[in-house]
This record gives sequence, C-alpha cells and structure tokens, in this order.
Amino acid sequence: MANRKYNIKKIILLVLLLGITVGGGIAYYIFNMPHIDVQAQKADYTVSTTALVSEYLQDEKLANEKYLGNEGDSKIFVVTGTVKSMDINLNNQKTVLLQEDADKAGVMCVFMAETNAHAAEIKIGEHVSIKGIIRSGANYDEDLELYENVLLEKCDLVKE
Amino acid sequence: MSRKSRIDIFSHTAAEDISAVNYAATAILNKESGEVVVSVPMQSFEFQKALMQKYFNSDKFLNTKPFPKAKFKGKISNLKDINFQKEGVYHAMIDGEMTLKETTKAISEMGTITVKDGQIIIETKLKIVLADYKIAFEKGKPSTNIAKAFDVTMKIEY
Repeated sequence: MANRKYNIKKIILLVLLLGITVGGGIAYYIFNMPHIDVQAQKADYTVSTTALVSEYLQDEKLANEKYLGNEGDSKIFVVTGTVKSMDINLNNQKTVLLQEDADKAGVMCVFMAETNAHAAEIKIGEHVSIKGIIRSGANYDEDLELYENVLLEKCDLVKE
Repeated sequence: MSRKSRIDIFSHTAAEDISAVNYAATAILNKESGEVVVSVPMQSFEFQKALMQKYFNSDKFLNTKPFPKAKFKGKISNLKDINFQKEGVYHAMIDGEMTLKETTKAISEMGTITVKDGQIIIETKLKIVLADYKIAFEKGKPSTNIAKAFDVTMKIEY
C-alpha cells in the first residue's frame, strides 16, 4: 500500500516536472520566437504594380483591411513592374522603385543584407518581379503634398 | 523630399530594455518656410524580439493595421538663425504636432541641422509619453516590461 502511494507521488512529480519543462520551453520559444522569414514563405498575392497601387488609391481603408496584419504579420507579395529608380537607405539596404509612367505612385521595394547583391543586378527601365512583405500602402498625403508609394520590405528579386 | 532616414525608439524598465529601428520614413523640408513633415510607416519598426514587434503592432498598442502611419508635421521656428547655404551645425527649434493612431499632440523640440557637402541633416530627440496618445496597457506582461514613455531619435538626410 505504502509502495503504491509512493508510486503515485512519483508519477505526479514526473508529470509536474514534464509540464514545467514543456511549458517553460514553449514560453521560452514564444519570448524568443524568430522573425518571419519572408523569402521562405509562399506569396499570398502576385500582382502588377499598377493593380496594387490603383487598389490602394481607390480605397485605402479597404486595402489596409485586406493586406495588413493585426500584429505586423502582413501579406507577402510578388509584384511585377518597371524599375523607375534605385537608391540605398541609411541601413545600406538597396531600394528599388517599381512604377509605370502612367501611375501616380509605385511600389518601393527594400532589399536586405542577404539579398542586396541581387538588387545590384537590376537596371532602370527593366521589367522585374520582386517578392516582399507589405508594410504600408499608397496614398496621397496632403502634408507631404505627394503620393506615397506602397512599401514592401525584406525583398528579393524573383528569377523567372 | 528624402527617403534617407533613421528613427530609433527606446524604452527602459528594470525588466527589459526595448529598442527598435525604422529606416522607411518619407520626409520633406521646405527651406523657405521651415516646414518639416515626416511620415513613418509603423510596421517598418524592426525589434530585436519578434514578440515585441507583435505587441507593438497589435491593437493593444499602436494598432498599425488601421493606423499604418505616424506623422510629424512642424516648422522650424528660428529659421533666421539657419543658413542652408553655409556649412555648419545649427541649433533648431521645431514646433509642430505628432499624430499617433488617432491622437494628435503638439510638440516642441530642439534639434540640430548640419549643412555639409551640399547635404542637410536634421537630427532631433523627443519623448513620447504613451498616455498622451491614449496608448494604455492593461495589466500583464507588456505593461510591466515597457516604460510609460519612449525616447525617439530621428535623423533625416536631405
């Protein structure tokens, strides 16, 4: 009898220990969870720059609702368009603006340290496809007095 | 118009230091009127911890899905002290308003303007008190780990 009691105690203790280990492990993982690897994910949408920009200029609210995530986990796009300009930001990331001549705004694509070399292959006037995560949409800003572009980050060139 | 910017946010509590960086703002500077406008895509703030980034964007905090951009709109009030044609470091008083989520607050900050090699660099530091923008935490982990105010450092190259 005493032996059985001892065994039950042992089992409870083991279960508790297992619970703490698994629970602690999950908590540790959540606390230190990695950032989303955009390039490893499947694209949610494949569109032309013209289509994405005009969707935003028609109804920004609706487009935000559709494309932006609640916790920054926004949609991943492959956007195709003409390279209008290229630059480099203060984080040494290459930026490529895809915009058609007839459009009021374009899609600004920000590359990463890992993909910067691919952006170097791109030339102005070229027609390319770029994959990235959307951070904000296009709109006319009355204070800036200009059209803001759609912003994609963590970008890479999609090879056809 | 400039797209070369760096905005750092930093908060300190006994539990944890939290910092994030954003390189994606669009800014204008009107040298004649002294007007400065900075539009900041909020989902571009990159935190070291993905979990913190999630909290930051969530509806409990900055709610960046319906409010994806923050905006600073202001004017350099001592424009006469600054010569954009002459190299040097100038102190600037910038008065304006900041819009975060749905709330707009007046702010007034000191900054420096550096004119060098044909480039104009504006740098400023400001404090954002979260409660001013109706950003309040319920009890729980983020509320104890995040300070009641954020230090914001802004650098824009024109």
